[in-house]
Amino acid sequence: MVFNVMKMIKEFDLKKATRKMLLIAGAVWLFIACNDDFLNVPIQGGVTTKTDPALAQKLVTGVYNSLYQADSWGNGDVHGFAFISVTSIISDDADKGSSPTDQAVPVGDIDNFTLTPTNKFCESLWSGHYNSIGAANQALKALEVAAVSEDLKNQLIGEVRFLRGYLYFNLVRMYGGVPLVLRVPNDATDANTDPAFQTRASADDVYQNIIQDLQFAVDNLALKGVNPPGNATKGAAQSLLAKVYMYKASLAGNDLADWQKVFDLTDAVITSGKYSLADDYATIWRQVGENNSESIFEIQTGSFNNANLNPDLYTVCQGVRQGGVGGWDDLGWGFNTPSVNLLNAYEPNDVRKAGTVIFIDNSGARNGTILWDGFRVPSSDSVQNLYYNYKAYTSRTREQFANSADKNRPKNIRILRYADVLLMHAESAIHLGQGDPDGKINLIRDRADLPPKSGVTIADVWNERRVELAMEHDRFWDLVRQGRAAQVMIAAGKTNFVAGTHELLPIPASQILLSNGKLTQNPGY
Amino acid sequence: MNKPLILLMLLMLATMELMAQTRVVTGQVLGTDDKQPIPGVNVIIQGTNRGAATDFNGKYTIAVETGDNTLVFTFVGYKTQTVTIADREVVNVNLEPEATALDEVVVVGYGIQKKSDITGATASLKGDVLLQQPVLTATQAMQGKVAGVQIISSGQPGSSPQIRVRGVSTALGGTTVLYVVDGILTDDISNINTADIVDMNVLKDASASAIYGSRGANGVIIITTKKGASGGLKINYNNNIGIRQAANLVEMANSAEYSNYVQAATGAAPPTSAYNTDWYDVILRTAVQQSHNLSFSGGTDKVTYLFNVGYLNDQGIVINNDFERLTLRFNNEFKISDKLSFGIQSSYGNSINQNGFGNINIDAFGNIGAVYNNAYRAAPIIPSIVDGKYGNTSAYQNVGNPLLDVNNNSIEVKENRLQGSGFLDYNPFPWLKFRSAIGADWRNSLNRGYYYQFDADEETFIVAGGNQYRTQSGLTVQQSQAFRWVWDNTFTITKSFGDHNLVFLGGTTAERFDLHYFSASRRDVPADPNLWYIGVGDANTSQNDGGGDAWARNSYLARLNYNLREKYMVTATLRMDGSSRLPEKNRWQQYPSFGVAWIMSREGFMQNQNLFDLLKIRASYGKVGNDQIPTNAFTQTVSLNRPYAFNGSATPATNGAQINQIIDPNITWETTEEYNAAIEFEILQSRLTGEINFYDKKVKNALINVPIPRTVGDIDGVILTNVASIQNRGLEVVLNWNQRVNNNFSYTISGNATFNNNQVVDLNGGQAIPGGGIGAAQGFTTYTDNGQPVGSFYVLRVIGVFNTVDEVQQYQNQQGNLIQPNAKPGDFKYFDKNNDGKIDDADRVFAGSYQPVAYYGLNGTANYKRWDFSLAIYGNVGNEVYNGKKAVRVEGKDNVERDVVYNRWTSANRSQKEPGANVGNLPASDYFVESGSFIRINNITVGYTFPSASLQRYSITNFRIFVTSQNPFTLKQYSGFTPELPGDPISSGIELSAYPTTRTIAAGLSIGF
Repeated sequence: MVFNVMKMIKEFDLKKATRKMLLIAGAVWLFIACNDDFLNVPIQGGVTTKTDPALAQKLVTGVYNSLYQADSWGNGDVHGFAFISVTSIISDDADKGSSPTDQAVPVGDIDNFTLTPTNKFCESLWSGHYNSIGAANQALKALEVAAVSEDLKNQLIGEVRFLRGYLYFNLVRMYGGVPLVLRVPNDATDANTDPAFQTRASADDVYQNIIQDLQFAVDNLALKGVNPPGNATKGAAQSLLAKVYMYKASLAGNDLADWQKVFDLTDAVITSGKYSLADDYATIWRQVGENNSESIFEIQTGSFNNANLNPDLYTVCQGVRQGGVGGWDDLGWGFNTPSVNLLNAYEPNDVRKAGTVIFIDNSGARNGTILWDGFRVPSSDSVQNLYYNYKAYTSRTREQFANSADKNRPKNIRILRYADVLLMHAESAIHLGQGDPDGKINLIRDRADLPPKSGVTIADVWNERRVELAMEHDRFWDLVRQGRAAQVMIAAGKTNFVAGTHELLPIPASQILLSNGKLTQNPGY
Repeated sequence: MNKPLILLMLLMLATMELMAQTRVVTGQVLGTDDKQPIPGVNVIIQGTNRGAATDFNGKYTIAVETGDNTLVFTFVGYKTQTVTIADREVVNVNLEPEATALDEVVVVGYGIQKKSDITGATASLKGDVLLQQPVLTATQAMQGKVAGVQIISSGQPGSSPQIRVRGVSTALGGTTVLYVVDGILTDDISNINTADIVDMNVLKDASASAIYGSRGANGVIIITTKKGASGGLKINYNNNIGIRQAANLVEMANSAEYSNYVQAATGAAPPTSAYNTDWYDVILRTAVQQSHNLSFSGGTDKVTYLFNVGYLNDQGIVINNDFERLTLRFNNEFKISDKLSFGIQSSYGNSINQNGFGNINIDAFGNIGAVYNNAYRAAPIIPSIVDGKYGNTSAYQNVGNPLLDVNNNSIEVKENRLQGSGFLDYNPFPWLKFRSAIGADWRNSLNRGYYYQFDADEETFIVAGGNQYRTQSGLTVQQSQAFRWVWDNTFTITKSFGDHNLVFLGGTTAERFDLHYFSASRRDVPADPNLWYIGVGDANTSQNDGGGDAWARNSYLARLNYNLREKYMVTATLRMDGSSRLPEKNRWQQYPSFGVAWIMSREGFMQNQNLFDLLKIRASYGKVGNDQIPTNAFTQTVSLNRPYAFNGSATPATNGAQINQIIDPNITWETTEEYNAAIEFEILQSRLTGEINFYDKKVKNALINVPIPRTVGDIDGVILTNVASIQNRGLEVVLNWNQRVNNNFSYTISGNATFNNNQVVDLNGGQAIPGGGIGAAQGFTTYTDNGQPVGSFYVLRVIGVFNTVDEVQQYQNQQGNLIQPNAKPGDFKYFDKNNDGKIDDADRVFAGSYQPVAYYGLNGTANYKRWDFSLAIYGNVGNEVYNGKKAVRVEGKDNVERDVVYNRWTSANRSQKEPGANVGNLPASDYFVESGSFIRINNITVGYTFPSASLQRYSITNFRIFVTSQNPFTLKQYSGFTPELPGDPISSGIELSAYPTTRTIAAGLSIGF
């Protein structure tokens, strides 16, 4: 066939052939050359802000999602291992845990107050919180122009501002004054030139801003029960705002105007009638206790796309760890172990002790420990540490997960609960000389099977706070705002603590470098 | 007298008379180049048409009459010689070859040129030189053979090396050289069989590569595949079979040494054990590699064809790693008429890579990728496997058993690639040629990862426990398909006016790429490979994902070549490129170039000197670009699937979205401007040839992923933007010597050396860029700043080791602050650069760069009778390497290198270079920076060609056997596995889990019918 074709071609009239070829060639060039659209190739699979009308609401969900960040050694941590380290391990409630050399840097450094500005966890907490704040600012920007009803818009803006307030509250408690980023940069040049992105605002300014955000939330959010429990509620905003005022008041040497606000806000939560203490303390942190009557605000976890959805490693890093011989599979890495100091803080017969601590059998009798779901933890010769955080335990057999086999099982993180509100109310009542602090404290003590107290003092309230909210990410920051951090830490044996320095974390060195020195370091680092 | 006698006497008289008038002259003609006889030379008596020809031995006989004075000797390819006969009976002549290397033809962009006419810097390599080496791709075989081209290889089967032409000229990962295979642009030649290559031409400087405009910045390699030739059917078979082993392994501590070190470092001795495991021994093996090629070619005047089949199998040196590739090639050319011809080149490649290291996206748990690293860390006191049960490393330390990782994960990558191109040449007039060429590249790959289920119990392990287990088996399948086409339309006008010769090329090209990919995974799939399909898994655990990519380019090009009397050359090119990857306002860019050359040796005044057989001077300027950035670099996209469980565990989560990237909407092309000046010469009867090139190359608007403050809200903390200029200045020297000693022995020696200086200039915004973060306590290890090479190491400086507590106390600054208050004897003493009394990032200093000051190659060949011998040496000088694996030691129970055990500081052995026993977590310092200079014998080959006479009765036209060794010997200072560490420009030269270099010994044969 080829030869026939060749013959045919030979028989062409040459001149005609030449002209034809030239025409074809010209046409081909024109086609390719004049087709401008040829270079307009849309991004494949790249959703842009223009292609989705319901984007604003999805972005709000995205802000909640950013609370899951737990890349402690990398791009950002909000509620992961780093969060646990700087709120719990750092305090006298817990020891580092695991084996002695495991994560000596960065966790051991945080525990012993030998940390430096290059501490990886300090850096990832900074990154994680600003990632979330960025997500919040993007959501707010989209909500401004979103085509939704005014009520829904305010609700959504309220939720985002609640979360932003929470994030800045964490930041100011960790680092002190921080850059106040309240908008999305237009582009890289904008980010480089606007000083807001690269200079630290004062702690007071940050608190002012938190209060504004949370006040908006108080004014615009719905009560508990109207929306699914994961959404921020009016009660959550009020409780968080009360806490903010409490910190502000204490740090300013007990400013009574602020204490009054604490009193009023907590009173509003109490009288709303939406909350009550759960009956069984031990169930609060279990799956059955999710979003119970006592719950005010929790970081919700669950399942998505046939996989567990949770801050990565939150439960695994605190799970019971196998350490010696024995051959028993562990439940996790064994960090954040309750300290003997904490154990000694409980009064006798306090049910909260058994609900907070897993006691490893060290008697020599090798009976092991049976947990609430029947799981038997071996005795101390097979296990690394002597005490573990019971509140971080997830049951493979009696709780529901998308993937139970994976040790990294989800657990809601209880950020605010009714007991906390009662304690804040009591403390403010004592400062102001109003209200019924005894009554509130005794509600809590009653639930803990303890005899009631009368004439409670601030010290009593502080002790009650410690044992009620043990291992719940409250202790260290609370000590700092009480003004007792140095005294208590040194008494607990953490003698490296330097008053005036270690109440705050260092600003990450890498961020100071990237800001070209505009960010200033905290004193002592 | 009788009549016959008188007749005889008359005849004799006549003859004598004739003889007195005509005599015979004989002689031999030899060539001056090889001193060999030249058959077929025309010997003509000048002024007549009487002549003769030399025979097979170069000898001739010619009858010369009186009056004949001069003989003229002519032969194609040799200079004509005119010789006076005088009275001589024997006239021997030596003919000088006409063709010098300059008349060789070189493939340049969109055409060919004589080497003499080229004004830019190019280099050529022949395919059979590349074929000798038992390596996967032709670029690997190029190492050390071309000045200015640095090939950084990884020993992994199925992997292509990284190429840098004249220094690092971009700071972004996308630094691949542009390959042009038979006129079709592509970025990856791993499917091209080296046996199919006729030659490779490297366009090194901007004036040569400017014709490729936006693609030329990283250099261009033009590959031509074999075509058939007219003549009968030729069959050729060659193969290469050998064994490979790991070379230059690091010695790790054995059990006794390990116990000693851990005791000293942690105070607690590890448990005693009867085992002494050499983990590298466990996971490495001697691998067999083989490659076979069979080709058929032939043709007539009108049609030529070539058909090649190639098969390559490379077992990796890590167990369970295997790479196989089959390639088929079919090249055909048809000459339809004097004016019209067309051709097709098509190739099909199929490859399967089992358990390779680089397949990160399919290796979901990263187990295969971690095997090599785990072998470094695993303690020798744990056995690897005893009676079918594995040693439980994770029960003792935080490391998985590497043998178990290799055995319980099966990662398979299968690729099919069909590449084809066709061209149509039309010559309506002798001076005008049109060419339309279209190329297509279709690539389909199917990846499958299966992860076996196993428990951490006594079925699997000797001792149960630990965290190396998988509760449920898993299967992940990924499929991707990519299609790319390129269409060139060009015309060439060739005209000569007297002494002026002109060639003009003009045209356009268009290109488009589309990619789709899809992946799915499920758990609970049985362990039988016949059941490894997604449908078999538990639907309740189903996950899937998919996406795609697309881009297009469009260009106009023009080139003018002009020469005057073949002595003065000028080349000018202009290319206009548009790319869809850039925002519309920056989409189009012009790339001009200009080059001149002068062949001084052809000048009149040079004819009387004897030194230079050739002297050519050339200079050029060119501008090229680089647009290899991700397609979504300037468009804000929304990140999807960011859910939140509003109802806790009660109901599935609600989906959400985030905008978490800051982009630069104004990014533009990286452009490179390059100046080049060179001298090419040949002296000593062209036995010594060489070339010296000076170049100065500056990349402007280099695109870099710049770290930005986290307050900006970008989730990975980097933004892609045009941020700096990078300059490379250097010198390339090439010298070649070839000598024919006698008929039996000849040899060549060639050497090339490149000296390059790389520097960052004009860093926009003044903010230097940290990079090379490797985790642990190290932070970043490189810093890219003005005045320094890209990605220079920037670490603390070690000035000694503290010997006593007193020394720690005495190490103060002027204010009396203890600089390292927490140090103990045996710890490093660091330099306090800014005298502020503490050691932190502000005390870091520059400690060298991974870019070599010079790299060089030395290649020698020798031929003795039927034997041939070749040797290739390659080396780097002046580069530094960061020993990352040593630096990320963070666990007291991790294994250590034997050298560290013995050379460590102790109070008895007060080393000032090695620290005392420690549990790791050391900060980044120049302790980990080591010299990366090395010199390596890349290849030694010995071959024997059988005499053709003895083969003729079997119809064999040639038969050669050879033995070769690849990388038999390396001399290096670096204590790690290999100083060749490819990586992205701001974090290169860091060894974290590099695949070791390998040593291969192979034998093969080549036979033609």
